[in-house]
This record gives sequence, C-alpha cells and structure tokens, in this order.
Amino acid sequence: MIEFTSTPIILTILLGAVGVILPVISIIRKERGSSLYGGIAFGALIAAICFVAYQILSKHIMPAAIFSKNVLVDDTFGSFFAIAMLLVSIMTTVGSFNYMRGRSNTAVYYSLILLASIGMVLIAYSTDLVMLFVAWELMSIPTYVLAGFNKKDPSSNEAAIKYFLFGALSSGIIIYGISIAYGLTGSTNIGDVISGFSKLGPDMMPLALLAVGMFIAGFGFKIGLVPFHMWLPDTYEGSPPTIAGLLAAGTKKAGFAAALRVIIMGTIALNVDWAFALGIIAIVTMTVGNLAAIMQKNLTRMLAYSSIAHAGYILIGLSVAPFSQIGIQASLFHILNHAVMKAAAFIAAAGIITTLAVSHIDKLRGLGKRMPITSLGLVISLLALAGVPPLNGFWSKLMLFGAAINAGSVAPWAPYLAVAGVLNSALSLAYYGWIIRKMYFEEGESDKRVKEPKSIIAVMIFSIIFMVGIGVYPDPIIEFAKSAVPNLSALSTIH
Amino acid sequence: MSNGLIDFVLVSVALLAIGIYGLSVKRNAIRMLFAIEMIVNSANLNLVAFARFIPNSQGQTLALFSIAIAAAEVAVGLALIIVAYRMYRNIDIADFRSLKG
Repeated sequence: MIEFTSTPIILTILLGAVGVILPVISIIRKERGSSLYGGIAFGALIAAICFVAYQILSKHIMPAAIFSKNVLVDDTFGSFFAIAMLLVSIMTTVGSFNYMRGRSNTAVYYSLILLASIGMVLIAYSTDLVMLFVAWELMSIPTYVLAGFNKKDPSSNEAAIKYFLFGALSSGIIIYGISIAYGLTGSTNIGDVISGFSKLGPDMMPLALLAVGMFIAGFGFKIGLVPFHMWLPDTYEGSPPTIAGLLAAGTKKAGFAAALRVIIMGTIALNVDWAFALGIIAIVTMTVGNLAAIMQKNLTRMLAYSSIAHAGYILIGLSVAPFSQIGIQASLFHILNHAVMKAAAFIAAAGIITTLAVSHIDKLRGLGKRMPITSLGLVISLLALAGVPPLNGFWSKLMLFGAAINAGSVAPWAPYLAVAGVLNSALSLAYYGWIIRKMYFEEGESDKRVKEPKSIIAVMIFSIIFMVGIGVYPDPIIEFAKSAVPNLSALSTIH
Repeated sequence: MSNGLIDFVLVSVALLAIGIYGLSVKRNAIRMLFAIEMIVNSANLNLVAFARFIPNSQGQTLALFSIAIAAAEVAVGLALIIVAYRMYRNIDIADFRSLKG
C-alpha cells in the first residue's frame, strides 16, 4: 500500500476537502455571487502546487517509473503533469474571478474546477487501470457540468451535450479495452498487463491489438486526435471561454498522461509498427487542425482548431519514442508549454468576450489600443503557439522536430514528421498573424481605452513572464522534463 | 450445467454492437444515452465473466466502480438533456445546430 504522506494522497485530500466544503459555505453564508469562493479555491490550488514543488525540490519522490506494484506511484512523471495541470487550474480560477462576478452558483463552479483538477492529477500518478479509469471519470464528469454552466445559453447547453455524448462514449470504449486487457492477462496493473501482452501467443495477438486500439480511440476522443475530433470545436466555442481553456489546456494534457502511461508502453511492448500508425495520425491531426483553423471567423473556435493541431505536434514525440532518446522528453516539454500558452490565449479571449462582448475576429480591430495588456498577452501566446524564436514554444517545437530527425537513422519515415511539423507551423503563422494584424494595424471604431479586469491582467502578466522567461532560459524546464521521462530500457527486460 | 466463457463474451459483443448501432443511427438524446449505457454494461459483463475464471478480484472491483460511475454519468447527462428540453421543447440532437463553422 502506498504511504499516507505521498503526493497524490495529500493532493486528493487537500483539493477534495476544499472542493466539498465550498458549496457548504455558500449554503451557510447565503451569498451567491461573492468572490470569496474563488479566493478559497485559489488558495487551495496554490497550496497544492507549492506542496508538489516542495516534494520535487526536496527529492522525496521516486524517479520516473513506468509501473509499480501499487495503484498509485509517487514519481517525477506524475509530478511533472501535476505541476502542468495545477498551473492550468490556477490560471482558470483566477481568470474566472471577473467572468463569474454576479453569476449564480459561484461556489459550485470553483468546487467543480477543484474536483476536475484532482482527476487530472491522479491520472498522471496512477499505475493501475482501475485507478486510471476512476481518475478519468473524476476528471470528465465535473467538466461536463462546467461546459454547460451557462444554463440559460443554448450554445453552452449544446456544447455540453455534445461533449457529454462523446465523452461518455470514450469512457465506454476505454472500459471495454480494459476488460479485454484484463481477460487476456488476468490483471489490471499496467506493468502486469504489458508483460502479459508481450508473452501472448500469436493467436491471441489480434485481441491485444484490439485492446490497444480501443485505448487509442478512447483517449483520442479527449485528446482530439483527428478521426475523433468532431465534438471539440463545438464544445470549445459554446462552453464558457474560461472552461474552454481548462478543457484545451488541462483535460487534453491529462489525456496525454494516460496515453503515455498506457498506449506508449503497450505499443513498445507489443510491436513497434504502432509507431508508424501514430505518426500518420500525428500528420493528419496537425494538417486538419491548421487547415480548418484558417477558415474560422470566431476567436475561440479558431483556438480550438489550433489546439487540435498542437495535439498533432505532441504526438510526433510519442510516435518516435521507440527510436529516439529525446522523443518523450520533447513531448513533455511541449505539453507544459502548450498548457500555459493555450490557457493564456483562452483567458485573454474570455477577457475580451466579457468586457466587449465580441468574439468575431473582424470585431477585434484596434483592440491593441482599447485593451493593451490583454492584447499583449494574446499576441505573445499566439506567437509562442506558432513557435517564434525567443518564446518557449520555439524550444519545444525545435526539440520535437529534432527528435523526429534523430529517429531517421532507425525509422526512415520519421524525418517526414519534422517536415510536416515545420510546414504546419508556417501555415499556422498565417492565421495567428491575421489576428495580430487586426488587433494592431487596423483602425477600430473607437480608440477609447476600456477598463481591463484586474484578474485577467494578473493572468496575462504571469503568462507573459512564463513564456518569455522560459524562451530566454529554457534549461531548468528541459532538465525537469528529462527527469520526468520513464526509463524505457526497463521494458526490454520483461520480454 | 455451467456456461462457458465464450457465451458471456458473445453476449457482451452483441451488446456492444447494439450500443454502437443505436449511437450511430438514433438521434434522440435519451436513446443515445441508453446506447452508451449498453456499451458500458457490455464491458461490465465482460469483466465479471473474466473474473470468474481468473483467481483475483480486480475485475469484479472494476465492474463495481464502473456501475457506480455510470450512474453518476447518467445523472449529469439527464440533467443536461432536461435543460435542453426546457429550452427547445425537444430532445432531437439533429435540432441542436447553433454551433457551426
């Protein structure tokens, strides 16, 4: 049994207790629209991230492990994802202060964000399929409610119903895959499942491949890989923009944590041919995402398609993982960067939508003069998403494409992934540049400066510092990502 | 007379197929919700059937967790569908078309 003071247990108790107490306080105080609840949730999340950082710095946690005998493992891989998820939750909470002012059910809103972040964090720490499934649902169910939180707004409700139907289908597919894996290997521990898979006879191999295929489909729905992406733009556009940020930056990355724990290890143990299939999905995902993003007229919908494209970039690192040392490291680095960049972009969009009530790109004319700090944050996050050199997105894309080129000596198809990635980055600069041109180089109807919400300004300043700071001095985060990569050579011993 | 494992697996695959058929053909939100429930329950049947032949309790545990989680999921889904019904007086998915692009 895992000890009581390990990171995942403490995080669950801390965030879960605050998440349950918040609605109780709101019933006792009978104050609906108060910003007190947001403050409490913010405090809990800050305490959680400080605890994780303390555990990492004081070296109380294990080095990254692929599997363990326990249900949860307290390793650097999980802590890396915990830092990324909690950063996104903190940015979403602070960005919501202004959005939620004067609305009803504020306490429930923040409490659901806390509960969803427990789920996201636990996915990264779990080494057992039962725990992984429970954490997956703990992440999904609160976000279904959050997507439909504006219950008077038809588009929010439609977004939530689409998200719910596809999300419930994806968890059905995942549990069917788990049941096949359990039937074949007699265990739900990820390590035992993988070693069982590698010992299977040839007549049972198709079933194991079916199980891995079901995992790819199930996690792929949440990640937004291309054959499974059709719900994603509608949901991100219709749900409250702060929640779209949580979905794009948080739950999508938690899907990658689950995929790394299950699919990558499974594919390496089964057969490296899967890497080629993942590579094709990566190219199709980024191309479809970028091509669709060019045609969008709505800011949040365009960011949604851009997050599909970024799922493709991250998948490059996963597909070359069997051949390249830095594949998974590059993916992890891009996951952390993309979490902050995309959350910042969506929260800037939320600030624009709540202050000016516009989300159409043509209406953004002259925004650089009307909302200078929000515009600056949006521009820097868009440039970082495109991968412009002095920003953090450049370094992680460079590592991803470098990993693909490195893998070329073993897998002749891998360098084409880098070529596709570079072409797609150039393509994406077209629509990011279009927004920047609208905001800064075109005259708007009025130049009068509007009052920007303080909470949005705080998030923008934090993310500008993060993006520029890591762009100038990326070494510590690259080292942290390197320490979070599990030792893949342990897999070869189970054959 | 005891049933073989293959019988349970066949029933489970049939349930999965019916669920996927219902999800892809029907456009009523409640019917789609039921189709998803059939997919989840086919997996539960699989887990319990396998657990009978495997000397550990992990499959049964997961089936129990999965039943409880499916109940929570249906509660959220029905709530969303009720909100939609109040707005549209209709629960046909094909009518929800305000988001396009």
